[in-house]
Amino acid sequence: MADPKDELPPRRRGQLRRAWDAFWSPTGVLSTGFLLIAGFIGGILFWGGFHWSLELTNTEEFCTSCHTMETNLGEYRETIHYNNHSGVRAICSDCHVPHEWQYKMKAKIMAVKDVYHELLGTISTPEKYEERRLEMAAAVWKKMKATDSRECRNCHAFEYMDFTIQEARAADSHQKAIDEGMTCIDCHQGIAHDLPPGYLQEYRHVVETLAQTERGGRERQIDVAQIKTYLGIEAD
Amino acid sequence: MISTLDLLGTIGASVLGLPGILGVALGMMTRNWIVAAVMGGIVGVIAPLLLGGSHSTHVAISGAEYAIAIVVGILAGLVGTAVRHKGASI
Repeated sequence: MADPKDELPPRRRGQLRRAWDAFWSPTGVLSTGFLLIAGFIGGILFWGGFHWSLELTNTEEFCTSCHTMETNLGEYRETIHYNNHSGVRAICSDCHVPHEWQYKMKAKIMAVKDVYHELLGTISTPEKYEERRLEMAAAVWKKMKATDSRECRNCHAFEYMDFTIQEARAADSHQKAIDEGMTCIDCHQGIAHDLPPGYLQEYRHVVETLAQTERGGRERQIDVAQIKTYLGIEAD
Repeated sequence: MISTLDLLGTIGASVLGLPGILGVALGMMTRNWIVAAVMGGIVGVIAPLLLGGSHSTHVAISGAEYAIAIVVGILAGLVGTAVRHKGASI
Protein backbone atom coordinates (compact mmCIF):
# COMPACT_ATOMS: atom_id res chain seq x y z
CA MET A 1 0.00 0.00 0.00
CA ALA A 2 1.31 3.40 -0.97
CA ASP A 3 2.28 5.87 1.72
CA PRO A 4 -0.40 8.61 1.82
CA LYS A 5 2.38 11.21 2.17
CA ASP A 6 3.65 10.32 -1.32
CA GLU A 7 0.32 11.22 -2.84
CA LEU A 8 0.36 14.79 -1.54
CA PRO A 9 1.40 17.44 -4.09
CA PRO A 10 4.94 18.72 -3.49
CA ARG A 11 4.91 21.72 -1.14
CA ARG A 12 5.39 24.96 -3.04
CA ARG A 13 8.32 26.92 -1.85
CA GLY A 14 7.89 30.58 -1.07
CA GLN A 15 8.69 33.17 -3.69
CA LEU A 16 11.30 34.81 -1.50
CA ARG A 17 13.05 31.50 -0.92
CA ARG A 18 13.07 30.70 -4.65
CA ALA A 19 14.36 34.19 -5.49
CA TRP A 20 17.12 33.76 -2.87
CA ASP A 21 18.15 30.42 -4.36
CA ALA A 22 18.08 31.79 -7.90
CA PHE A 23 20.22 34.74 -6.80
CA TRP A 24 22.95 32.40 -5.55
CA SER A 25 22.74 29.83 -8.38
CA PRO A 26 25.38 29.82 -11.13
CA THR A 27 24.01 31.24 -14.34
CA GLY A 28 23.82 28.84 -17.22
CA VAL A 29 23.22 31.37 -19.98
CA LEU A 30 25.43 34.36 -19.19
CA SER A 31 29.17 34.47 -19.69
CA THR A 32 31.60 35.84 -17.11
CA GLY A 33 32.39 38.73 -19.46
CA PHE A 34 28.72 39.63 -19.80
CA LEU A 35 28.26 39.58 -16.03
CA LEU A 36 31.38 41.70 -15.47
CA ILE A 37 30.42 44.31 -18.07
CA ALA A 38 26.79 44.40 -16.90
CA GLY A 39 27.94 44.68 -13.27
CA PHE A 40 30.36 47.48 -14.17
CA ILE A 41 27.71 49.46 -16.06
CA GLY A 42 25.16 48.79 -13.32
CA GLY A 43 27.67 50.03 -10.74
CA ILE A 44 28.27 53.26 -12.66
CA LEU A 45 24.53 53.84 -13.02
CA PHE A 46 23.90 53.15 -9.36
CA TRP A 47 26.78 55.31 -8.17
CA GLY A 48 25.89 58.15 -10.54
CA GLY A 49 22.27 58.01 -9.41
CA PHE A 50 23.27 57.93 -5.76
CA HIS A 51 25.59 60.90 -6.13
CA TRP A 52 23.03 62.84 -8.18
CA SER A 53 20.38 62.28 -5.51
CA LEU A 54 22.83 63.35 -2.84
CA GLU A 55 23.59 66.57 -4.70
CA LEU A 56 19.85 67.30 -4.98
CA THR A 57 19.71 67.31 -1.18
CA ASN A 58 22.43 69.99 -1.20
CA THR A 59 20.32 72.57 -3.00
CA GLU A 60 18.80 75.59 -1.27
CA GLU A 61 15.35 74.58 -2.52
CA PHE A 62 15.64 71.23 -0.78
CA CYS A 63 16.98 72.67 2.49
CA THR A 64 14.26 75.29 2.71
CA SER A 65 11.40 73.10 1.55
CA CYS A 66 10.51 72.44 5.20
CA HIS A 67 8.27 75.01 6.86
CA THR A 68 10.62 75.35 9.84
CA MET A 69 13.47 76.56 7.67
CA GLU A 70 11.64 79.73 6.62
CA THR A 71 13.02 81.74 9.54
CA ASN A 72 16.61 80.74 8.80
CA LEU A 73 16.10 81.54 5.14
CA GLY A 74 14.74 85.02 5.84
CA GLU A 75 17.70 85.85 8.08
CA TYR A 76 20.24 84.45 5.66
CA ARG A 77 18.79 86.52 2.81
CA GLU A 78 19.73 89.67 4.70
CA THR A 79 23.39 88.70 4.93
CA ILE A 80 26.45 89.17 2.74
CA HIS A 81 26.54 85.45 2.01
CA TYR A 82 23.32 85.88 0.01
CA ASN A 83 23.87 89.22 -1.75
CA ASN A 84 27.23 90.91 -2.19
CA HIS A 85 29.28 93.00 -4.59
CA SER A 86 31.18 90.00 -6.01
CA GLY A 87 28.12 87.98 -6.98
CA VAL A 88 29.37 84.87 -5.23
CA ARG A 89 26.71 83.19 -3.13
CA ALA A 90 27.13 80.66 -0.37
CA ILE A 91 24.01 78.51 0.01
CA CYS A 92 23.00 76.40 3.05
CA SER A 93 25.07 73.38 2.08
CA ASP A 94 28.22 75.44 1.57
CA CYS A 95 28.31 76.23 5.28
CA HIS A 96 26.56 73.19 6.74
CA VAL A 97 27.65 70.23 4.59
CA PRO A 98 31.30 69.18 4.43
CA HIS A 99 32.91 68.57 1.05
CA GLU A 100 34.89 65.51 2.13
CA TRP A 101 32.98 62.32 1.33
CA GLN A 102 32.95 60.60 4.74
CA TYR A 103 32.04 63.80 6.60
CA LYS A 104 29.44 64.65 3.98
CA MET A 105 27.82 61.23 4.45
CA LYS A 106 27.96 61.66 8.20
CA ALA A 107 26.27 65.07 7.94
CA LYS A 108 23.56 63.64 5.67
CA ILE A 109 22.86 60.77 8.05
CA MET A 110 22.79 63.08 11.07
CA ALA A 111 20.41 65.40 9.20
CA VAL A 112 17.72 62.74 9.64
CA LYS A 113 17.11 64.36 13.02
CA ASP A 114 16.01 67.54 11.21
CA VAL A 115 13.31 65.58 9.40
CA TYR A 116 12.30 63.96 12.69
CA HIS A 117 11.92 67.33 14.41
CA GLU A 118 10.09 68.76 11.39
CA LEU A 119 7.55 65.94 11.74
CA LEU A 120 7.33 66.46 15.50
CA GLY A 121 6.89 70.19 15.06
CA THR A 122 9.64 70.96 17.56
CA ILE A 123 10.24 74.44 16.07
CA SER A 124 7.00 74.83 14.13
CA THR A 125 6.05 78.25 15.55
CA PRO A 126 8.12 81.43 15.91
CA GLU A 127 7.88 81.09 19.70
CA LYS A 128 9.17 77.51 19.66
CA TYR A 129 11.89 78.54 17.24
CA GLU A 130 13.10 81.34 19.50
CA GLU A 131 13.07 79.01 22.50
CA ARG A 132 15.41 76.64 20.67
CA ARG A 133 17.50 79.19 18.80
CA LEU A 134 20.38 79.23 21.27
CA GLU A 135 20.46 75.43 21.48
CA MET A 136 20.48 75.04 17.69
CA ALA A 137 23.11 77.73 17.25
CA ALA A 138 25.30 76.13 19.93
CA ALA A 139 25.15 72.77 18.12
CA VAL A 140 26.44 74.38 14.93
CA TRP A 141 29.11 76.37 16.78
CA LYS A 142 30.29 73.21 18.49
CA LYS A 143 30.68 71.43 15.17
CA MET A 144 32.45 74.38 13.59
CA LYS A 145 34.80 74.90 16.51
CA ALA A 146 35.65 71.18 16.64
CA THR A 147 36.47 71.11 12.92
CA ASP A 148 38.45 74.38 12.87
CA SER A 149 35.63 75.99 10.84
CA ARG A 150 36.17 73.46 8.06
CA GLU A 151 33.23 74.57 5.95
CA CYS A 152 34.20 78.28 6.17
CA ARG A 153 37.67 77.35 4.94
CA ASN A 154 36.32 75.76 1.79
CA CYS A 155 36.09 79.36 0.53
CA HIS A 156 38.06 81.49 2.99
CA ALA A 157 41.68 81.14 4.06
CA PHE A 158 43.95 83.43 6.02
CA GLU A 159 46.70 82.66 3.49
CA TYR A 160 44.67 84.18 0.65
CA MET A 161 43.68 87.36 2.49
CA ASP A 162 45.23 90.65 1.44
CA PHE A 163 45.14 92.61 4.69
CA THR A 164 46.10 95.82 2.86
CA ILE A 165 42.71 95.99 1.14
CA GLN A 166 40.70 94.96 4.20
CA GLU A 167 39.26 97.47 6.63
CA ALA A 168 41.76 98.25 9.36
CA ARG A 169 39.64 96.59 12.04
CA ALA A 170 39.17 93.43 9.98
CA ALA A 171 42.87 93.25 9.10
CA ASP A 172 43.86 93.68 12.77
CA SER A 173 41.39 91.03 13.88
CA HIS A 174 42.50 88.54 11.24
CA GLN A 175 46.16 89.07 12.09
CA LYS A 176 45.34 88.55 15.75
CA ALA A 177 43.41 85.38 14.87
CA ILE A 178 46.44 83.99 13.03
CA ASP A 179 48.79 84.90 15.87
CA GLU A 180 46.55 83.36 18.52
CA GLY A 181 45.48 80.25 16.59
CA MET A 182 41.81 81.15 16.52
CA THR A 183 39.23 79.87 14.08
CA CYS A 184 36.54 81.66 12.02
CA ILE A 185 33.58 80.83 14.27
CA ASP A 186 35.36 82.30 17.31
CA CYS A 187 34.30 85.74 16.03
CA HIS A 188 31.74 85.16 13.27
CA GLN A 189 28.98 83.36 15.19
CA GLY A 190 26.17 85.42 13.70
CA ILE A 191 27.45 85.59 10.15
CA ALA A 192 24.35 84.09 8.51
CA HIS A 193 21.61 83.96 11.15
CA ASP A 194 20.43 86.20 13.99
CA LEU A 195 22.15 85.81 17.32
CA PRO A 196 20.08 84.83 20.36
CA PRO A 197 20.42 86.66 23.68
CA GLY A 198 23.22 85.26 25.80
CA TYR A 199 25.07 83.88 22.82
CA LEU A 200 28.51 84.90 24.05
CA GLN A 201 28.14 82.96 27.31
CA GLU A 202 26.84 79.96 25.39
CA TYR A 203 29.75 80.13 22.97
CA ARG A 204 32.16 80.28 25.88
CA HIS A 205 30.47 77.20 27.32
CA VAL A 206 30.81 75.39 23.97
CA VAL A 207 34.52 76.21 23.79
CA GLU A 208 35.13 75.10 27.36
CA THR A 209 33.21 71.84 26.91
CA LEU A 210 35.20 71.02 23.79
CA ALA A 211 38.46 71.88 25.49
CA GLN A 212 37.65 69.48 28.31
CA THR A 213 36.68 66.58 26.08
CA GLU A 214 39.32 66.85 23.42
CA ARG A 215 42.72 65.35 23.72
CA GLY A 216 45.60 67.67 24.38
CA GLY A 217 43.55 69.52 26.94
CA ARG A 218 46.44 71.65 27.98
CA GLU A 219 46.85 73.20 24.58
CA ARG A 220 43.14 73.79 24.35
CA GLN A 221 43.04 75.53 27.74
CA ILE A 222 45.55 78.03 26.40
CA ASP A 223 43.30 78.47 23.39
CA VAL A 224 40.28 79.10 25.61
CA ALA A 225 42.18 81.71 27.57
CA GLN A 226 43.15 83.49 24.36
CA ILE A 227 39.59 83.48 23.10
CA LYS A 228 38.31 84.80 26.41
CA THR A 229 40.80 87.63 26.24
CA TYR A 230 39.86 88.37 22.65
CA LEU A 231 36.16 88.38 23.40
CA GLY A 232 36.76 90.70 26.34
CA ILE A 233 35.60 88.12 28.85
CA GLU A 234 37.57 87.89 32.07
CA ALA A 235 39.57 84.72 32.39
CA ASP A 236 38.48 82.62 35.37
CA MET B 1 32.56 60.84 24.21
CA ILE B 2 30.47 61.10 21.06
CA SER B 3 26.69 61.30 20.98
CA THR B 4 24.49 58.50 19.64
CA LEU B 5 23.66 60.52 16.54
CA ASP B 6 27.34 61.24 15.98
CA LEU B 7 28.12 57.55 16.40
CA LEU B 8 25.40 56.49 13.93
CA GLY B 9 26.59 59.11 11.44
CA THR B 10 30.21 57.94 11.69
CA ILE B 11 29.20 54.29 11.29
CA GLY B 12 27.00 55.09 8.28
CA ALA B 13 29.75 57.16 6.68
CA SER B 14 32.22 54.30 7.15
CA VAL B 15 29.81 51.78 5.65
CA LEU B 16 29.27 53.97 2.58
CA GLY B 17 32.94 54.95 2.45
CA LEU B 18 36.19 53.14 1.80
CA PRO B 19 36.08 50.73 4.80
CA GLY B 20 32.65 49.42 3.84
CA ILE B 21 32.96 49.23 0.06
CA LEU B 22 36.62 48.25 -0.30
CA GLY B 23 36.29 45.96 2.73
CA VAL B 24 33.56 43.92 1.02
CA ALA B 25 35.49 43.90 -2.27
CA LEU B 26 38.67 42.64 -0.60
CA GLY B 27 36.72 40.11 1.44
CA MET B 28 35.28 38.68 -1.77
CA MET B 29 38.82 37.97 -2.95
CA THR B 30 39.47 35.28 -0.34
CA ARG B 31 37.76 32.31 1.30
CA ASN B 32 39.83 32.70 4.43
CA TRP B 33 37.85 34.47 7.14
CA ILE B 34 40.91 35.69 9.02
CA VAL B 35 42.60 37.09 5.91
CA ALA B 36 39.34 38.85 5.00
CA ALA B 37 39.02 40.38 8.47
CA VAL B 38 42.67 41.51 8.46
CA MET B 39 42.36 43.08 5.02
CA GLY B 40 39.17 44.87 6.07
CA GLY B 41 40.86 46.06 9.25
CA ILE B 42 43.82 47.43 7.29
CA VAL B 43 41.45 49.38 5.06
CA GLY B 44 39.84 50.67 8.25
CA VAL B 45 43.21 52.01 9.40
CA ILE B 46 44.21 53.46 6.05
CA ALA B 47 40.88 55.10 5.16
CA PRO B 48 40.91 57.79 7.90
CA LEU B 49 44.60 58.42 7.19
CA LEU B 50 43.96 58.95 3.49
CA LEU B 51 40.54 60.58 3.59
CA GLY B 52 40.15 61.82 7.17
CA GLY B 53 40.58 65.44 8.22
CA SER B 54 40.24 67.99 5.44
CA HIS B 55 42.39 69.79 2.92
CA SER B 56 42.04 73.13 4.64
CA THR B 57 42.27 72.41 8.35
CA HIS B 58 44.57 70.48 10.62
CA VAL B 59 42.12 68.84 13.00
CA ALA B 60 43.39 65.55 14.41
CA ILE B 61 41.40 62.44 13.48
CA SER B 62 39.81 61.10 16.65
CA GLY B 63 40.39 57.64 18.09
CA ALA B 64 36.66 56.95 17.80
CA GLU B 65 36.82 57.62 14.06
CA TYR B 66 39.66 55.14 13.68
CA ALA B 67 37.98 52.53 15.88
CA ILE B 68 34.69 52.74 13.98
CA ALA B 69 36.43 52.56 10.59
CA ILE B 70 38.41 49.48 11.70
CA VAL B 71 35.36 47.66 13.08
CA VAL B 72 33.34 48.47 9.94
CA GLY B 73 36.28 47.37 7.77
CA ILE B 74 36.56 44.04 9.58
CA LEU B 75 32.82 43.39 9.37
CA ALA B 76 32.78 44.38 5.69
CA GLY B 77 35.66 41.98 5.01
CA LEU B 78 33.73 39.18 6.71
CA VAL B 79 30.61 39.99 4.71
CA GLY B 80 32.71 39.90 1.55
CA THR B 81 34.13 36.48 2.31
CA ALA B 82 30.65 35.21 3.25
CA VAL B 83 29.52 36.28 -0.24
CA ARG B 84 32.48 34.39 -1.68
CA HIS B 85 31.57 31.25 0.28
CA LYS B 86 27.92 31.43 -0.70
CA GLY B 87 28.28 32.53 -4.30
CA ALA B 88 31.45 30.93 -5.63
CA SER B 89 32.73 27.39 -5.78
CA ILE B 90 36.39 28.35 -6.03
